Amino acid sequence: MNRNRILFGIGVLAFVSVIVTVRLGGFLVDNEYRQPDRQVAAQEEQGETELTPRQQGIVDEQAADEAEARARPYEEAEYRTVPFVGSRVTVWVLAQLHLLFAAFVLAVPLFAFIIEFVGYVKKEERYNKLAYEFTKLLSVSFSMTATFGAFLTFGLIILYPKFTNYLMHIFSPTFLPYVLLFFLEALFLYSYYYGWGKFGPKMHLFLGFMLNIVGTAIMFIANAWLTFMMSPGRRDDVDGDGVPDFVSAVSESGALLSLRDAFFNFTWMPINIHRIIANVAFGGSIAAAYAAFRYLQAKTDEEKAHFDWMGYVGNFVAIIAFLPLPFAGYYLAAEIYAFSQTLGIQMMGGTFSWLFVIQAALIGNLFLGANYYLWLGMGRMEGGVHFQKFIKWLLIAIALCFAVWATPRYAISSVSEIAAMGGSSHPQLSYLGQMSAKNTAVNILILSTYMSFLLYRRTGRQSVHPHRQLLTRAQAIVFSSAAALVIFYGVYGYYVDAAIRIRFAIPQVYSVLAALVVITVIDLPLYRNAAQSGETKWGRMPAVSQYALIFIALSFTWLMGLMGYVRSGLRQEWHVYGVILDTSPDAYTPTLGFATQVVSVTVLIFFGLLGVVFWLSSLGGKKDWEPKAVADGGDRLEGGQAA
Amino acid sequence: MWGLNLPIVLALAAIGGVLVWRRAHTLVWLLYSLGALWAFFKFGFVVPIPQSVATIYLAITGLALVAYASSSRERLAETVQPIKRLILEPRYRLALAGLLVALPALAAYNAYADLTMPLEAPGFGREIHPAPPPEITVHDETVNMTTGDNPYLHYKADDPELYGKHLENGRRVYYENCFWCHGDGMGGDGMFAHGLNPVPSNFNDVGTLPALQSSFVHWRIAKGGPGLPGPGTPWDSAMPAWEKFLTTEEMWDVNLFIYDFNGFEPRALGQH
Amino acid sequence: MKLSVPMPVRLVLLVVGTTAFYMYLGQIVPQKEAHPPPPVLISAEMTTEDLVAVGAELASGKGQCLVGCHTVGQSGPLRYPDLDGIGARAATQIEGLSGLEYLAQSLYEPAAFIVPGFADGMQPIDQPPISLSEDEMKAVIAWLQSLGGTPTVTLDTDLGY
Repeated sequence: MNRNRILFGIGVLAFVSVIVTVRLGGFLVDNEYRQPDRQVAAQEEQGETELTPRQQGIVDEQAADEAEARARPYEEAEYRTVPFVGSRVTVWVLAQLHLLFAAFVLAVPLFAFIIEFVGYVKKEERYNKLAYEFTKLLSVSFSMTATFGAFLTFGLIILYPKFTNYLMHIFSPTFLPYVLLFFLEALFLYSYYYGWGKFGPKMHLFLGFMLNIVGTAIMFIANAWLTFMMSPGRRDDVDGDGVPDFVSAVSESGALLSLRDAFFNFTWMPINIHRIIANVAFGGSIAAAYAAFRYLQAKTDEEKAHFDWMGYVGNFVAIIAFLPLPFAGYYLAAEIYAFSQTLGIQMMGGTFSWLFVIQAALIGNLFLGANYYLWLGMGRMEGGVHFQKFIKWLLIAIALCFAVWATPRYAISSVSEIAAMGGSSHPQLSYLGQMSAKNTAVNILILSTYMSFLLYRRTGRQSVHPHRQLLTRAQAIVFSSAAALVIFYGVYGYYVDAAIRIRFAIPQVYSVLAALVVITVIDLPLYRNAAQSGETKWGRMPAVSQYALIFIALSFTWLMGLMGYVRSGLRQEWHVYGVILDTSPDAYTPTLGFATQVVSVTVLIFFGLLGVVFWLSSLGGKKDWEPKAVADGGDRLEGGQAA
Repeated sequence: MWGLNLPIVLALAAIGGVLVWRRAHTLVWLLYSLGALWAFFKFGFVVPIPQSVATIYLAITGLALVAYASSSRERLAETVQPIKRLILEPRYRLALAGLLVALPALAAYNAYADLTMPLEAPGFGREIHPAPPPEITVHDETVNMTTGDNPYLHYKADDPELYGKHLENGRRVYYENCFWCHGDGMGGDGMFAHGLNPVPSNFNDVGTLPALQSSFVHWRIAKGGPGLPGPGTPWDSAMPAWEKFLTTEEMWDVNLFIYDFNGFEPRALGQH
Repeated sequence: MKLSVPMPVRLVLLVVGTTAFYMYLGQIVPQKEAHPPPPVLISAEMTTEDLVAVGAELASGKGQCLVGCHTVGQSGPLRYPDLDGIGARAATQIEGLSGLEYLAQSLYEPAAFIVPGFADGMQPIDQPPISLSEDEMKAVIAWLQSLGGTPTVTLDTDLGY
């Protein structure tokens, strides 16, 4: 169908809906009870002024109602309700949608800026184009973020008036800076977007830089509001006995003692770090999903090549940010633990423990999907069959780790199974359900994914470095010793006390991070100016790879919804943990099944809106796009020139 | 070894070895992996692993196998090749027909197996003999759960006549109060037993009375279902707290009697 | 002959299918709704025995002792010390502290003494978020004493905090 017709259709639809709204309003107003005309006429004819008993009753009733309404004193509502869905679910969905768009809007400038910067340093126009392509997604998403932000604010004021008022009491001094920063964000965002190619490159990079600074500042302020609800204060060794004490930012009844403590509260920084990393991973995956969407629509080979490359870069960004994400997650969880034992146990062992089995399934799918995309990508290179034989072993490692991670601590079992096991845990499997095994599994998953990426990078390329054999062996040694160390600590963890065991996670993490850094540092010179056995054929990807990208984006979104639920749900019946109790009917913690339903509905709404964003973005960008500039594509994001 | 069913595991490994030796086709490998893992989870452990966990593992395996088969154009083509040939080439027509019958038959069998599965209550991990408190107080008398013992047991050797009197009293108490549920022959099959969940204890069972100290049995008689600690819940047993109806002596006597009737000795302190 | 599903339909199927799959995962795990603990009232005329009952309720409710931290009557790899027999054990844990004083100290200043083999991690129970009142504290101590010992606390007992 032709676009003009669609636009015309939308216009007609808008006109019709205005008329329908007006008519409906009129109908509702007119439709109150009236005297039948005939009776009135009959009364007027007879000159009767006396009311029938029924009329008298109605008049009396109205008078009584009015008197009551006049006598009623103004009362401040504590909570208001929403029919059918309830106020909690309403605010929950609105907040999640706001957050999803906000995360995207904050993340895209981050990597668009980096890509533009890479293009500026390497003087390659195609990076500039790509960064612009990413930025095009921003303006519609920015409006969506603002819309849902306003929607959420109204939702909070209407549905939780007393509590919202309380938050104002604590945080009112931060609102003005927030609004000003939001204004600046809009300024920088639109000048960055519309100013593409109109400013000098340095000036434009500066705008991008400022956009990121302002965006991050906005997120930090908003994070203070929500982390305050979880940890209203900080921990500090006030009395000097070496044990950190809880310094509450508010009095027992909730009056503000120190805005500083409320703002820079205990979980503020961990959330900031976790969110920045997660935003980049999420933003990358959504941008990759956009590229996949366009790839699937593409008619020409040039278009396919371009969007294949864009999807690859988006996914690359997502994976690079995803690798340290479990560590940031552990850090956040450890800080929550350190803040409050009760919250920590509630999270990992109590009401929410099954949520983390679902999380394991999601993260396993993400790792599998990311690796799968990389393996399919080997098909882009000519002569890329060399590494195919490793895929089997990587897959076995990933599936094993996935299985370990998804093993529940206490399995769901029937009576006869419990009888056979002699308890609720299996004699062998219970080892896999414990933290030692799971930490080991996630570390090996990260190493395997990185291995997939290294193999992808090597496909069809031959190093020309003089010491290539030595360096490759060094990489292999670093890789295998990191893996060995991780497994050693994982197994050794079963032989020591709990107090020592939990500390083993740290050397595991550091050995993996160190291995990633060392291998990368060796790899960069090793494959600089590498000989290519064949050209990289961008666009030579089976369609299933693009669906894999969309699957990854979906899993990311769903995972964010689920983790958002646990972060907020952790407080259970508290508005502000330990200070302000939720006394509304929604104070209880719902079942996991219900929570996942809400998350799913939110994700579906988000993807529906995302479809609109993608469609609008593809409308706006048509004529700016120049196929020739990108058709010579090659994988050179990490350095290296085609020989 | 390691709780594994060695013959099964070795047999599965042997099939895998044969496949390596014969350089089996990718499709054969995929089918083998799924089938072997299914068999391993189902039969490979001495203590079978719960169905729910096996399902998770098989789902992950299935996902991984699909990912493997489709991870490059060449491999996908290679994997699908035998299937294409089976469908298209006339000489496999008989095999194809067999498959077309076998697949719905398998689905039908699965549906049948699901429907004929015995109904079972979901497990809550209730402990039948939960850890007792360190000591209990019955009629103002404190009984230490570890060191306490039946005060009349020693008459068995010292004064058989008195022992017989206590036994006789225990028999009276049992057939006045206990047999309604625990049964005439103490098989846990009394006339009310079918209505109770959890079911009354079967005292004929060699795993019940001989595995318990008489102090434990005294605790269960005196405090009954209401006295069960957390791990013994939910569905608190319907056993009454007999301390409200019987004297201490009567409770020890019936304790003596149920052991004697079944020819068991109480578990001694420190015995495993 | 070529079967072909249009791209938008495939996309919608993928999105709805994946979401439905994850939602299904959420339905097959154990379902539990957690309601806020009902307020527990302590009146002045409560005896020690009443306090034990209130304490037991507090332990699994507002006090959150048994919500993932402590156990009663379990062995194996535990997170925190098992409370079984604490009433008898309390008097001998720290020299110079009676059972009552030891229990009060463990609740008000948990970090003062860590049972060997366990990590520090408990928070003072009189502070937020648990914030037990002094009377509630006495009820919990009465309950702890009842685990393997004989409770002695009354509402008139001075805990020293």
